[in-house]
Amino acid sequence: MSNLEAYRARAAAWLESMVPAFGKAARKGLSEADDLALARRYQAAKFESGYAGINWPVEYGGQGLGHLEKVTFDSEEMKHGFPNAYFGISLGMPVPILMQFGEDKAFVKERVLKALRGEEIWCQLFSEPAGGSDLAGLRTKAEPDGNGWKINGQKVWTSWAQYSDYGVIVVRTDPNVPKHKGLTYFWVDMKAPGVTVRPIRLAGGDSHVNEVFFDDVKVDDDQRMSPVGGGFAVAMATLMIERYVATDSGGFGPHLDLFVELAKAILVNGKPAIADGRIRQQIARNYAMRNGLNSITARAMAMMQAGMVPGPEGSLNKLVSVRSRQKLSELAIDLRGSDGFAFDDHASQKEDWTSSWINAPTGRIAGGADEMLLNTIAEKILGLPQDHRPDKGVPFNQIPA
Amino acid sequence: MSILYDEGQQAIATESRRVLEARVSKDELLPLLEMTGRYHEGFWNTAKEQGWTALALPEQYGGLALGLVELGLIAHQAGRTLSGAPFLTSGFGCAKAIELYGSDEQKARWLPGLASGEIVGAVAFASGSDPLPAYPAIRFADGRISGRAAGVTGGLVADIAVVYAMGALGPLLVVAELSDVERSAIGSFDNSRCYAHLGFTDIPAQPLAIDGAAREAALHILALQAVITAHEQTGGAEAMMEIARDYALTRRAFGQVIGAFQSVKHRIAELYGLVELARANCIHAASREGAPDFIVAAASARLSATEAYDTAARDGIQIHGGIGVTWEAGLHLHMRRARSLAIEQGNGLFWEDILVDCLTGEAA
Repeated sequence: MSNLEAYRARAAAWLESMVPAFGKAARKGLSEADDLALARRYQAAKFESGYAGINWPVEYGGQGLGHLEKVTFDSEEMKHGFPNAYFGISLGMPVPILMQFGEDKAFVKERVLKALRGEEIWCQLFSEPAGGSDLAGLRTKAEPDGNGWKINGQKVWTSWAQYSDYGVIVVRTDPNVPKHKGLTYFWVDMKAPGVTVRPIRLAGGDSHVNEVFFDDVKVDDDQRMSPVGGGFAVAMATLMIERYVATDSGGFGPHLDLFVELAKAILVNGKPAIADGRIRQQIARNYAMRNGLNSITARAMAMMQAGMVPGPEGSLNKLVSVRSRQKLSELAIDLRGSDGFAFDDHASQKEDWTSSWINAPTGRIAGGADEMLLNTIAEKILGLPQDHRPDKGVPFNQIPA
Repeated sequence: MSILYDEGQQAIATESRRVLEARVSKDELLPLLEMTGRYHEGFWNTAKEQGWTALALPEQYGGLALGLVELGLIAHQAGRTLSGAPFLTSGFGCAKAIELYGSDEQKARWLPGLASGEIVGAVAFASGSDPLPAYPAIRFADGRISGRAAGVTGGLVADIAVVYAMGALGPLLVVAELSDVERSAIGSFDNSRCYAHLGFTDIPAQPLAIDGAAREAALHILALQAVITAHEQTGGAEAMMEIARDYALTRRAFGQVIGAFQSVKHRIAELYGLVELARANCIHAASREGAPDFIVAAASARLSATEAYDTAARDGIQIHGGIGVTWEAGLHLHMRRARSLAIEQGNGLFWEDILVDCLTGEAA
């Protein structure tokens, strides 16, 4: 057994031992407040057992292991439905970027340890009403104020802002230069006066994203994490941190086995749906698609293990898997016919086709809309030209609104 | 019958659109998603007051003696504004079954109430996943029916239902009052459809007199309803396409409206293609009522309308980005309705099979 496989076996056994306390059954029926409290205890247990900050430096409380161990652990963890979502953004991007760009090492270390133990949560304040896909088009501004800065504006789609203690934020500090060049990156205290968080309800009923309003929120200059005007580069670095994360070729929806089970249980024209050519075709095509994505991931892991840099094809995963999941979920609902009208808004989107269907559009937009992923593939991988962009090189305050 | 709408028909479309846009709003429909057993009363009152419930029924029984074309036009507008109750289509199916296959006494008893809308009618043909089973699960004997009808549209509210049941000599259609039926509400993703499982225990039921096979009669009723539903789906798809177009004309990114980007512009143009194919199929199908190829026309309308609405819901939301998946924006009302209408009156697999059966004479 390779070292990595031994690591996987140890992690799997540890995760299995956590199921009674933190698994799906333990979470069933909990209010979100109770679930969050359970999640904090789970995160603390991970920290105590050496499964938090797996690939982070030991000096910051991490384990000092590699990316492979991290992805290996995450893939195993994903199988169980533990309450880890509250920390996904926090530990995925803002805290690593704080380790990389934070100036005050003692402060950084304290924050990192609290985040690793689940005591503090960080959010990422990037998207705005007028700038989602067009991140550099953001309008929230920071103006000099005494020795520091004063922030005014609005962010949106901020995951878990309602539970966050801190956040990283990109703001406009100079509207007189082209849009990418007038941005600066800060960390902010989410409990500071002038910060207002308002949850947004999504189509499926859940409210983990928020609007965040900034009214004359004061920040010190030592909260600045980029040169003035150099914020876009740090924002890009933030988004690139976890280029190869644990993926799910099922698009974070149900496993294909669940579709097969359904097709065996349901009759079409008096025969099991599993015998129907149209259903068999969908099973076959979805399998082939998922298998391809799994192989891309496996190859990337093998390349990293061999000290090589994985290819860009890993960026296909979310694009391909989520839109396929959307259509397969529709078909699953269709298959159930008059038995398919029921809906439980607490059902898991990994186990329930209706929940998977209703939440799929969010998956096709969050973390980069399909259109932006396709642009990245076309422009960054294939070298095709960008669309015409009239705002190119134009000072931000002269872009027609 | 002509496939060009005449002036009277155009007036029906204009007037129904005006009144529905004035009386049914997203803000009233959103809360209904979270209430089981409630529907938009304003919509249903409007349908009764405007005579839409009477539209396609015979004059002799209080109807207006118009047909699928006119009711289809209303359904199209209802689809655009997200009709707040399913009873127009369910009541129409129920009434047509009684009109076509009932005795004079049965017609006199039920049709006037169905025409005025005082009686809410439902159709219960499906058995689980099968929209029209070879062996219906509900049994008929000695003038009574027993068994369970799954997921009946409007079942929570309906006063009477036409039920596809199994008698001693084979399947038949019966009409039953629902006052003593056990109704279990289905908490659904589209609650204003008032879905319920109906449990029949020795409920009195009258057979409808059918010359020939009951299955053919039931299929004819399903096809009539499917044409109306296809109009409703097409209306929903058209509305979603227009909402996406309007958003693409105002939302800006990278210094211009997003509709200037081909990935967005083409997505909306593709929707136009799907909507127009569905509309053309609907117009054709409505004009073929009573013709030998009616089932083929109905199946074509149904399949293209389902594809149009599903795609418009998916793509219309996608074009909106984050705002498209919020509760408040309400685009999910169309997404939910696209799915519920895709199942009512038989899913795509069912109509594909019916269509190919009819075209080739080869059963699936």
